[in-house]
Amino acid sequence: MAYIEVKDLKRKYIMSKDVSVDALRGISFNIDKGEFLSVVGSSGSGKSTLLNILGGLDWEYTGDVIVDGKNIKEYDHNFYRRYVVGTIFQQFHLIPSLNVEENILLPYRFSKRRGENVNERLEYILRMVGLEDRRKHLPKELSGGQAQRVAIGRALIDSPKIVLADEPTGNLDSKTGESIITLLEKLNKEEEVTIILVTHDQKVAKKTERIITLVDGKNV
Amino acid sequence: MVRMFKYAIDLVTRRKLRTMLTSLGITIAVMLMTFILFGMTDLQRAILTQFSSVFKPTDLYVSAQEVMGLGASQSAPTKDTQEQKEEIIINDEIKTEIEKIDGVVDVHPMFVLTGFEVYLEGDDVAYPSPLIQATDIPGDDEMFGSFIGDEVVLEDTGIFVSNFVPSYFEISSEEILGKKIILKRSPTNSFVSVSNRNGIDKEYEFIVQGVVDTSGESFWINTSRALDILSQTGGFENRDEYIELVGYSQLLVSTQEDKTSEVEEYMTKELGVNVISTKTIVDFVSTLTSGLTIALIVFGSISALVASIGIINTMVMSIYEQTKEIGIIKAIGASNRQVLVIFLIQAGLIGFIGGVVGLAVSFGLMQLADPFLVDLLQEQGFTAIEKFFHFQSVNAIYITLGSILVGILAGIYPSMKAARLDPVKALRYE
Repeated sequence: MAYIEVKDLKRKYIMSKDVSVDALRGISFNIDKGEFLSVVGSSGSGKSTLLNILGGLDWEYTGDVIVDGKNIKEYDHNFYRRYVVGTIFQQFHLIPSLNVEENILLPYRFSKRRGENVNERLEYILRMVGLEDRRKHLPKELSGGQAQRVAIGRALIDSPKIVLADEPTGNLDSKTGESIITLLEKLNKEEEVTIILVTHDQKVAKKTERIITLVDGKNV
Repeated sequence: MVRMFKYAIDLVTRRKLRTMLTSLGITIAVMLMTFILFGMTDLQRAILTQFSSVFKPTDLYVSAQEVMGLGASQSAPTKDTQEQKEEIIINDEIKTEIEKIDGVVDVHPMFVLTGFEVYLEGDDVAYPSPLIQATDIPGDDEMFGSFIGDEVVLEDTGIFVSNFVPSYFEISSEEILGKKIILKRSPTNSFVSVSNRNGIDKEYEFIVQGVVDTSGESFWINTSRALDILSQTGGFENRDEYIELVGYSQLLVSTQEDKTSEVEEYMTKELGVNVISTKTIVDFVSTLTSGLTIALIVFGSISALVASIGIINTMVMSIYEQTKEIGIIKAIGASNRQVLVIFLIQAGLIGFIGGVVGLAVSFGLMQLADPFLVDLLQEQGFTAIEKFFHFQSVNAIYITLGSILVGILAGIYPSMKAARLDPVKALRYE
C-alpha cells in the first residue's frame, strides 16, 4: 500500500457569480514512503494548489488524500500541519526579528510537546543544514541559500513524515540551488522523509527519483 | 501558553514606537482615572481629617432647623414632624432638658450672627463675608486647632479671629492682637439673624483677644455679648425675650463617649430637635465624594473608550502588517485559537504598558504636586492636612487590571480577524 494516495483530486475556485477556475481536474497518484519526487508544470497548472492541499492549508477540495492509511480530513488540521507535514516556501518566510535558532524553533512555540530533547534536535538540525556558526544571526544577515536552509530546518524541527518544498530553489542562483537540492537528498536519506518538491525547473526535477507532470490541472 | 506569551511579547517589542503610541491613549486614561480615584479618596480623607481635628466624635450640634440636608433624622419628614419642628425654639427650657439627659456632659449655647460688616481699626475695607459665631468655649479648647493670645476666655468686649483674618489684612497674628474690630449692620443686608423687629443701627467694638485656627468661622465672640447685639439690633425688649421668641442658634452638646448615639436618638425623637453628629457629617461627606467620584469616573471612562478605539485601530493595522507572519505561523501549525490568544495577549500587554506608565507618571506628578496642594489646602483652612496624596495599592491594582481589560476588550475584534485569516491568502499577501 502506498504511503500517500491522491485520488481524483479536484479543486474549483469560485471567483465570482459567473466566473470559476478549475485548478485541479481530478488528479490521482501514489507516493511510497521515503520517496523523493517532484511535481512539475507550467504556471497555472495546479502545482501550488496541490501543494496547499497536501500541506493542509486548503481543505475545500473534492476527492481523497490518504496519508499512512488515513484520510487527511480525519486529522486535526493543526496536528496535520504541525506533525505530519513540514513546508518549505520559495520566499523562505522567516520571521525577521527572530534569529536562526528562534526561527527553526518557531513551530515548537505552537506545539504541545514538552521537553522532548528539543535542544538536541535543534543541534542536530543546525549541523545538518550547516548553520551551527550562524545560530544567532538574523535573517537579514544571511544569504539566500542560508535563509532557505533555516526554512528547511524549521520544516524539520517537529520530525514530520513528509516535507513539501514549494520552488525551494526559485529564489536562488543555480549553485546555491544545487546545494539545497543536495541537502534535501541528504534529508531524504538520513531522516527517511518523503519529499515532494514542486518546481518548474526541469533540471531540478531530474534530480528527484520521480516526476509528476501537471498540465491544466491534470497529471499526465 | 508561556511560549505564546513570549511570542506576543516579541510582537509588542518588535514595534516599539507603535506600541508606545498606542499605549499613550491608555496612559492618559489611566492618569485621569488615577487622579480621580486617588484624588477623590484623598480629598475625602482631607475633609474628614480636618473635620475630626475640629469636631469631637462625642459632640452633637443641636439646632431647630435642618442645615443643608445634614439633619439627624434620615426619615422622610411628615406634616406633623414639620409642624412640630417649625414651632421648636432652642431656648433655656430645651437647654435644661438636654442637660438632664443621661450621658450629657456639658451644653454650650451658640449664636450665629449674620448681616454685619466687620472692619479692622484704621482700615476702610470690610472683611468679606464674615461668619460670626458666639460661644463660651475657651480658646485653648480642642475645637480650635491652635490659639495665639493671652486670655483664653472671651470677655464681653473680646473677639477671637480666625488665622486667615490677619492674612487678609496683611498683618501678622501677633500684630492683630489688641487691635479694635468694629461690627456694623450691613446696609445691603438688613435682615439680622432670624428676627428683625424695628432693629436699630449701632456699631459694636471689640478688642482682638486671640487668633484661633478654624476652617469656617472668621470671628468668635462670647454668648452674652452676642445676645445683647442680637436683641438690640433685632428690636427685642431684652435678652430673655430674644431667647424666648428666637432662641439659641445652636447648642453644642458634649456627651460621654459611649452615650453619644443614645443622646442623639433621645434628642431627635423626644425633643424633636435637629441633631448633627460627627457621624452624620462623615456620612454626608462620604456620600457627596462618592457621588462625585462616580460622576468623574464616567468622564474618565469616556477617555478609556477613546483609548480603546485607538487600540482597535492600531491592532487592525498591525494585522495588515503581520498578515504574512500570521500565514506563516498558521502554515507551520498554529491553530486559530493560538493566533487569537497571541493577539489578545498583545492587546492586553499594550493595555498593561499604558496602565503601568500612566500610574508611574501619575504618582510622579502626585509626589511633585503634593507639597503645593498641602500649602494650598492649609491656606484654605485645612490646617490638619500634612500630606494630600496617599498611595493606595488596591486602587493601583484595580487601575492596572482595568487597563489590561480595556486592552483585551479592544483587541477582541482584531484578534478574531487575525485568527480567521486564510493561511493561503495570508502567505500571498504583499
